[in-house]
Amino acid sequence: MRRLLRDNGLVLFFATIFLLALLGQAVAGFHAFNDDQVAGGAAPVSWTTYLTSSDLGTDVAENWQSEYLQFALYILATVHLVQRGSPESKPVGEEGIESEQDQRIGAHAGHDSPAAARASGPRLWWYSNSLGLTMGVIFFGSWTAQAVAGHAAYNAQQLLDFQDPLGFGEYLAGPDFWDRTLQNWQSEFLAILSMALLSIYLRQRGSPESKPVGASHSATGVEG
Amino acid sequence: MRTQLALFVALLTFVGVALTYVVVLGLLHR
Repeated sequence: MRRLLRDNGLVLFFATIFLLALLGQAVAGFHAFNDDQVAGGAAPVSWTTYLTSSDLGTDVAENWQSEYLQFALYILATVHLVQRGSPESKPVGEEGIESEQDQRIGAHAGHDSPAAARASGPRLWWYSNSLGLTMGVIFFGSWTAQAVAGHAAYNAQQLLDFQDPLGFGEYLAGPDFWDRTLQNWQSEFLAILSMALLSIYLRQRGSPESKPVGASHSATGVEG
Repeated sequence: MRTQLALFVALLTFVGVALTYVVVLGLLHR
């Protein structure tokens, strides 16, 4: 049991604080939703009604999509772009998808390589891009969920305000959808930019996300 | 690596089920 906790500490730690934060968001969102209901002259809703409404789903999905977009873009952009001095970057001059030897694929696969690394054609292509593709699929899935749930939640509020509901296309072209989308994107892009740039000059002893404390500022692609 | 594979599958399942739940509720409330 102790070994299981130690071997998986990173995932279990983040899974725990994720579930606690999601629960906290649901509780706070429930009270905020009912405050709006009362202010709009409607009756407060039950906990079950809130959990099965589209309000919570929209708020959750809009944050998820931006996080998965952040990782998908970071994974793909760092294939082709480098940042001198950053531990998040490959060394300057190694831009691109690299050779089969560097990537240990095909004839260069080792005895412990995944079976797909020894394959060729579409199977190798899929496995070679599976991390970025999966992040991208979850991004588009979350963005779709945000759009569908956001449309339903927006129209529920419109009816509460005695306003006409919008069609799905009108909602997608409207300010609510893009305000929710872009307010999340801008913060993710700033966070990536900050990580790539601050890690050139700053250190965190013991973290693989940082260069070793004694590494030079010009060292690129060196992790601690 | 069986525990890691179980956690991997659990994460993808959780995200998939949660997003499906949100989409279905959104479609029902249109």
